Amino acid sequence: MIPVSAKPSDPETGLPAIDSTGLPDHVSEAEVRESAARERLEKIRMFMTNWQGMGGLVLVLLFFASAIFAPWLAPYDPNALDIPARLSGPTWEHLAGTDQLGRDTFSRILHGGRVALKIAAIGVSVALIVGLVLGMIAGFGPRWLDNFLLLLFDTVRAFPTIVLALATVALTGPSLELVLAIIIITSIPQYARVTRTATLTLRNTDFILAERSLGAGVFRMLWHHVMPNVVGPLLILAAMDVPVVVTVEAGLSFLGLGVLPPTASWGTILNEGYLVIRDAPWMVVAGGIPLILTTLGFTFLGEALRDIFDPRMGKGR
Amino acid sequence: MAKDMTPPDETLLDIRGLSLEFRTPRGRVKALRDVSFPVRKNRIIGIVGESGSGKSTILWSILGLLSGNAEVTAGEVLFEDRDLLHTSQRDLQAVRGEEISVVFQDPMTSQIPVLTYARQMFDILYRRPELSREEKRRMAVEMLEKVGIPDPAARIDQYPHHFSGGMRQRAGIGMALLTGPKLLLADEPTTALDVTMEAQIIHLLQELQSETGATIVLVSHNLGLIAELCDDVVVMYAGEVVETGDVRSIFHDPQHPYTRALLECDPARIEKQAGKLPVIPGDIPDLVRPQHGCIYAPRCQRVIEGVCVTTPPPNAGTAGGHARCHLLDGPFHDPEWPPPAEVLTVKAGETGRPAGPKKIGEEPLLDVSDLNVRFRTMGALHARLKGVADPFVDGVLDVSLSVRPGETVGLVGESGSGKTTLGRAVLNLLRSHGGAIDFEGEQIRNMPERRFKPLRRDMAMMFQDPVGSLSPRKSVRALVTEPFEIHGISGVDLDAEAERLADLVRLPKPLLGRYPHELSGGQARRVGVARALALNPKLIIADEPTAGLDVSVQGEILNLMADLQAEHGLGYLIITHNLPVVRHIADRLAIMYLGRVVEQGDAEEIFRSPAHPYTRALVEGIPQPDPDRRRTHVSISGEVPSLMNRPVGCDFATRCPCVQPRCREEKPPHFTMNDGRVHACLFPLK
Amino acid sequence: MLIYLTKRLGLSAAVIGLVVLVLFSLLHLIPGDPATIALGPRATPEAIARYAAKMHLDEPVWMQFLIYVGNALTGDLGVDVFSDRPVTQIINERIGFTLALVCTGMGWAVILGIPLGCLAAVKPNSVLDRVTGVLSVGTIAVPSFLVSIWALLIFAVQLRWLPAIGAGEPGDMHDQALHLILPAFAIGLAWVGYLARMVRASMLEVMGETYIRSARAFGLTPRKVVFGYALRVAILPTITLIGMGFGGLISSTVFAEIIFARPGIGKLIFDAVMARNFPIVQGAVLVATALYIIVVLLSDLLIAWFDPRVRETL
Repeated sequence: MIPVSAKPSDPETGLPAIDSTGLPDHVSEAEVRESAARERLEKIRMFMTNWQGMGGLVLVLLFFASAIFAPWLAPYDPNALDIPARLSGPTWEHLAGTDQLGRDTFSRILHGGRVALKIAAIGVSVALIVGLVLGMIAGFGPRWLDNFLLLLFDTVRAFPTIVLALATVALTGPSLELVLAIIIITSIPQYARVTRTATLTLRNTDFILAERSLGAGVFRMLWHHVMPNVVGPLLILAAMDVPVVVTVEAGLSFLGLGVLPPTASWGTILNEGYLVIRDAPWMVVAGGIPLILTTLGFTFLGEALRDIFDPRMGKGR
Repeated sequence: MAKDMTPPDETLLDIRGLSLEFRTPRGRVKALRDVSFPVRKNRIIGIVGESGSGKSTILWSILGLLSGNAEVTAGEVLFEDRDLLHTSQRDLQAVRGEEISVVFQDPMTSQIPVLTYARQMFDILYRRPELSREEKRRMAVEMLEKVGIPDPAARIDQYPHHFSGGMRQRAGIGMALLTGPKLLLADEPTTALDVTMEAQIIHLLQELQSETGATIVLVSHNLGLIAELCDDVVVMYAGEVVETGDVRSIFHDPQHPYTRALLECDPARIEKQAGKLPVIPGDIPDLVRPQHGCIYAPRCQRVIEGVCVTTPPPNAGTAGGHARCHLLDGPFHDPEWPPPAEVLTVKAGETGRPAGPKKIGEEPLLDVSDLNVRFRTMGALHARLKGVADPFVDGVLDVSLSVRPGETVGLVGESGSGKTTLGRAVLNLLRSHGGAIDFEGEQIRNMPERRFKPLRRDMAMMFQDPVGSLSPRKSVRALVTEPFEIHGISGVDLDAEAERLADLVRLPKPLLGRYPHELSGGQARRVGVARALALNPKLIIADEPTAGLDVSVQGEILNLMADLQAEHGLGYLIITHNLPVVRHIADRLAIMYLGRVVEQGDAEEIFRSPAHPYTRALVEGIPQPDPDRRRTHVSISGEVPSLMNRPVGCDFATRCPCVQPRCREEKPPHFTMNDGRVHACLFPLK
Repeated sequence: MLIYLTKRLGLSAAVIGLVVLVLFSLLHLIPGDPATIALGPRATPEAIARYAAKMHLDEPVWMQFLIYVGNALTGDLGVDVFSDRPVTQIINERIGFTLALVCTGMGWAVILGIPLGCLAAVKPNSVLDRVTGVLSVGTIAVPSFLVSIWALLIFAVQLRWLPAIGAGEPGDMHDQALHLILPAFAIGLAWVGYLARMVRASMLEVMGETYIRSARAFGLTPRKVVFGYALRVAILPTITLIGMGFGGLISSTVFAEIIFARPGIGKLIFDAVMARNFPIVQGAVLVATALYIIVVLLSDLLIAWFDPRVRETL
């Protein structure tokens, strides 16, 4: 590539933005000079008035609270059998009915949230960190390393998550650790690719060149100048990725490839409900609702954060 | 001139009392306030102003293409007795393209990349159902021919990315004129182009205007362009019209203090090498706050306390124009204003340091000899498949150059000339492939970074984009003190250093807590200078130090650099395309074309008598801010060839007006003239 | 162009090669004798010996890998452990059901999602835009396997409008189409939302470009500007999204096939996993990933076809 050398100066962009969000062309320099504190306050205010974002936040908090406090919130032991009341519909004793063995579905849902939270928290954070590091290495490292890592990412992405899970379970048998491992492995490429693209873009910016001209080392450039610019969008991506992870866990457990019975998980509840769908339809309904609420919550939260803090990231997802 | 004979009162477009606001999160930006001026038929009217003056907004309100958050609060735009502000979208759509057409600022982004020119031009002619497809195509081809596209019948089927910048702008002008509009709006039509291309586009617009008699509204910040092209001028400042008049009275007898100051700041107007440039202190006012009285008063050198806060008398001036200023009319009329043209009304420089004779060292600080930088054009495998033996191009070819302590060397060239590449290669940011780079006698070319790092304390770079070259998530304080951390300098009080540097570059200390995007271009530039100066370097390489700055403030940075040089004996290598600016600060110039230095020597000498035809073209290519010095011809035609097909003989032979057969065969070596000047021309100009 | 194509094909082949390698190492990394794992602890020694010979288990591991790759290149993916039928043949019988489902599911999503996104982008903040926005987030939020279960519950179990199980009578087009509706609905639903949002976002971005304003300044009709100019550019990232998201589509297809007991590749893999029938797992997973890679490749080529800039830098 031939670097394009200096273009004539362009003192006035002269283009009023067509969309209503952009600032018009002649926002003077005086106006751009706004204190950071004020801008941050403005963003928080924007978030507070965004009903989607606030709704999402409430749902997310609900998800965390119900999972963490499940043992105290649940009216019954999730594995306590109540054979006479088996396959009961929603009643005051059993808010979400009972399953084939008479276990209280509501209590099982609360406890199932713990599995989902555990998977989401560990899976997403590990994938995020590993993806961030690999992505920065790919974006900043030599060409061959970049190509090699890309090939690796593409290979992992080439396996549809479920197909990879099926293939692995076929060999090792189902377990929660396996689900976690699969989630981490299949999530890494997307974080790594986003990081890599951002790093590549940053790598060619003037400010990184300026750092080089001052003699800054690679580690300093990555840690002080690349990462702060990458990590924001990545965190938003992570918020949007939580539903995917929770869904994968539920899906695998549904297929009997994840959490082993009798441990309660939203997926196993759905599976047990699916087996009795003709007799006790409320079970698949009750098992699905927390899944949807969690997904909606994280999606709304992630979108609101993205719209407010990173309006340019809308594409690519 | 013939067009002056037409009756001057035939008004095609009349803007009356136009006021416009933008709703923003911060409040309503009063972008235009009571803007009025007529556009007379068959004339070119220029709207000139700095950034934030609202000049482009006027254009978009004429077309009704303002952004969604814009709101016209008063006024009308009369076009042949129709008020365009109160016309239905459907009727406006009928006017757009047919009666009023536009030439856009940046031809690189204003043409859709996925459609051919033929398609784009068909689409513009959609309102002509009576024409057959063949006729439309013929019209389009003729138009492309008229605007100077070679081989138009074939090139019309190409996409915009096949065209170079200049060609794209020609095609853009062709598309605008395709329907034969009555009014042509041109928004900074040459700003995105190089000097030699700019001259050609100006010439083209002149020709087309005299041929078709179209009325043109031209928006630009470039005073030279306005003087060269326009018949009437409207001067804008911060959303208001401060002065109107015909081009001669504006340029020869400006009435308003702002117009006067703007003209004085234009480096192209200043004849002698001053060393210091005039500046207008202060910033454009915040248009969210209510404005009282004269909008320019806070920056005006002739402000009268207590008077300028009242609205100046509306109409006072000469020769059909008007200017709003208390000095010109009313009780505070000053018969001494405006002073004669030789008197400066704005100050040159900010401090009173004597600009005495420069102390330039003897031994070169930086000595580049026969430097080559090559770029790979394709992968090794690709090259082998295509049978290309040498998949490289020379970005920089046999460049020799030296900078002494205390000396300013200007490296001048158009885009693609390799000047930025050269700067980066010197700083070891790019690998070079031949020649030598000596810094204080030490060979530094392609030195491993570990060994080069200590040298970075002595050589610093200023980057072209003032804001973009600052890490966005770091505070100014952290940015300014970062060099100390990088080089592990302990035992300094970083906060004290930050304040010392802020003082040094005259950056207000409260700004130390800000982030780059909260700074204005000028302030960010100062931060860049502070970073470069943090470790007391000996050499500074400055890439377009005035890029993105308005005429009235670019002097501040250059004056600051001059002061620092006088104080610390710095050597400067200034990389720029802006010849008028570099003329005032450089001791020596090197002119680059296609990666080679074509001429090098004393700056004043080069300006007075260029030896290389390309240098002459550059010098003559600067449009003069003087309507009496309009050029009648364009000295060079064509465009810079691609590096991929460098001419066999002299690089400039394809465009040279005085080309000889020998030039096409032989690559001229560098000749040294009696006065020490070096040039690369077989037949140098006398 | 040719060079680009070669490069892309080479890369795709490399990815498929790596996929095979991963599958193969998975089989050999786990401790224990592959034959015993495959056939279960109760298999007779004769069966194990026969299996070992068939799978070339007596050869070194790398040799086994090469044999497998070599056979795969000629279309031979091994033999079913239980029925002794060639894996290729089994996959051939099943793949039609999967392809029909994937195409229908994606098809209705594209037909509905892209126009919705366009309309929403043309009038941002209008009622249609808001409704589309909420609906698309809603559809994205519901996991596709849950859509499958609930669709099954509502339309097949409760309302009894549509058949629940299987792919319909062979040869009976009408019956097969009826059996396709629910699973196709389930896997396509989230995509309607995805596509609408994606198209809306990229349309909004393109509508802000300078060249769109020039088109408007030349007086082109709004319809022409939106569909002739903006959509032409905005469709490009959407194509990439479809290509990239195809992996997710395969995942939801697997679920839909299991839930609706539809005899496609996904069901085949699931049943084979449950039965520890490794040759089938290996073969079917290979086919599924190859399908994904081909789709990504196609989407890249489609972009090159749409965008002259990409076409020429190839």
